[in-house]
Amino acid sequence: MSVLLAKTLRSSTFKWALIWITIFGAVVIALFSYVYWSTAAYVHGRSDRAIAAEQIILQKAYASTGRGGLIAAIEDRIANRRFESGIYMLAEPSFAPLAGNLKAWPSTLKGSKGWQDFAAREWKPDAANPPMLRAMFDTLPNGDHLLVGKEIDDLDEFAKKIKTALLWGVALIFVLAAVASVSVTRRTVGRIEAINATSRAIMQSGLGKRIPLRGTRDEWDQLAENLNSMLERIETLIAEVKQVSDNVAHDLRTPLARMRGRLEKACARQRNGDYDQSLIDDSMADLDAVLRMFSSLTRISQIEAGDRTSAFRTVNLSEIASEVVELFDAAAEDERAHLDAVVDQRVLVAGDRDLLFDAVANLVDNAIKHGREAGRVTVEVTQNDGSAVISVADDGPGIPINERQNVFKRFYRLEQSRRTPGNGLGLSLVAAVARLHGAGIEMMDNAPGLKFRLRFPSPARS
Amino acid sequence: MGGGRRRLLVIEDDPETAEQLEDFLSTSGYQVDLAGNGSDGLSRGSSADYAVMVIDRMLPDTDGLAVIRRLREVRIVTPALIISALGEIDDRVRGLRAGGDDYLVKPFVFTELLARIEALARRSATVVRETVLRVGDLELDLVARTVSRRGRNIELLPREFQVLEYLVRNEGQVVPRAMLLQHVWDLHFDPTTNIIDVYVGRVRRKVDGQQAYPLIHTVRGVGFCVRAPR
Repeated sequence: MSVLLAKTLRSSTFKWALIWITIFGAVVIALFSYVYWSTAAYVHGRSDRAIAAEQIILQKAYASTGRGGLIAAIEDRIANRRFESGIYMLAEPSFAPLAGNLKAWPSTLKGSKGWQDFAAREWKPDAANPPMLRAMFDTLPNGDHLLVGKEIDDLDEFAKKIKTALLWGVALIFVLAAVASVSVTRRTVGRIEAINATSRAIMQSGLGKRIPLRGTRDEWDQLAENLNSMLERIETLIAEVKQVSDNVAHDLRTPLARMRGRLEKACARQRNGDYDQSLIDDSMADLDAVLRMFSSLTRISQIEAGDRTSAFRTVNLSEIASEVVELFDAAAEDERAHLDAVVDQRVLVAGDRDLLFDAVANLVDNAIKHGREAGRVTVEVTQNDGSAVISVADDGPGIPINERQNVFKRFYRLEQSRRTPGNGLGLSLVAAVARLHGAGIEMMDNAPGLKFRLRFPSPARS
Repeated sequence: MGGGRRRLLVIEDDPETAEQLEDFLSTSGYQVDLAGNGSDGLSRGSSADYAVMVIDRMLPDTDGLAVIRRLREVRIVTPALIISALGEIDDRVRGLRAGGDDYLVKPFVFTELLARIEALARRSATVVRETVLRVGDLELDLVARTVSRRGRNIELLPREFQVLEYLVRNEGQVVPRAMLLQHVWDLHFDPTTNIIDVYVGRVRRKVDGQQAYPLIHTVRGVGFCVRAPR
């Protein structure tokens, strides 16, 4: 778990989150500072305006009724609860008090004018700390000193509360952001770590491992699913390659072993012209078979590997079918088989003539070799529902249903046909050619016999 | 053509293959010049008059196709045969597009290489427009499209006639299966089945059956040859 945390803190997602938290935090602090300062300024401004208004009222009282009237007004205010937080003081020119709720004129501010903030013991002498006061000092025309003010501890208390609330707010935001970014990052890192762990497991022990899904169907599950299906495909391909190389090894060994045996036997006996000649002929025939096998293999993998659709031309399937049938006429005759073509006039597809010819030739070759002796092989080309179809049917023993998918595998040969010549690559080639042309292959029961059907997409659509 | 008629340039970097080629081709009556890399091949190819150039696709210093392209740029039109271990399909197209005249995939049978070289060498020679071809007692009338031996008519299908015509035109030369498929059917692949043999077998039955001597011979692993007994 601590490893995961360390990874979380190192991850790029987390670093980005930190950068954004910093930027976001700075903005929030600036905003909150503004709120604080403007609130404090507003509260203080209101209090100052109230003090200034009082001052004007009292000065007016002095102007109209003189010192006595002013003293009465001050006494009146002190007695009224409405002015509880207000402080008033009228003093003689010598600062001897005349009226007011301060015990004495603040000793440090004798002779001050205008606004002053001060802590006055003269206000509430029994309080532990003298409260903060704010007052306006003035000297009346007769030399008396007038002081009008308010206790501002309340205001400061209010501003302080706002400040505290804002500070808590900022702190809370930072904590939440940090927690959120750690948990989001941790989740991300956790999913990536699952993928990494699977990759490492695959590197160590083969392609069998898969990335676990969480069943949330989110983008991580989708990624994991895609990677898993990619692994699936790779595994299949590798298995196929392995199968092919095993088969190549097997099919190579047979002719090579034959050649070695032959040479060994020849080595042990006297040179003999006729015997040696037949030995050389047989060995060359075996080597030719091996070479042919290799060129078939490379041909198939080339067809499978490259996208050659750019070299496609419009070709007439009927023409190809007729030519294949004509070419195989002699071979069919040898097997006493009937080979017929039933073709529509023009069935056009986009394709590669060489490859299509080769594929159809392989199907016909199979049908003749594996069909019934003296049987009937029919090549049919039709156009229906916009798709071109070519089928090759025989009336031989057919292929058992459970074997049908296997026959497209390279080197696969049915038990029943082991003894007929061939290398088990023909149908692999047919399958590769069909795939290249986007054609579907079907194998059907011809009752009796087997029918291969290639269905091509119409040229208009492809 | 003159002295260049029987002179070949072989550009091949593998010394053993080069030596085998030289051995085999000189036994077949050619004078062989060897070049071990592209630049050597380029200078030899552009200075001397050769009947055919045989060029390996993969050379240590350059691509065989580049050599051909460079030679074609300086208007050297000597037929070029590309040999390569690379596969047949796309490379054949690319090789021929680069100015190569024929293509052979390694490993190949020497007889087939020779057959292709001869075909290329002949291509540059004058083509005589005959109307009747003769080998031994066989007669092909190219206008009437009829075949006869010792005056006796032989029935051939149109395609069988083409096969025989191509073999007879190359009398005495080995015609590889793939070349036959290419010239008669216009197909460019090496059939993995024995279908061409079966097809030519039927032509042979019609042409050689109940005759004094056979004309169509099978060359094992390669193809066919039409030859009258000496």
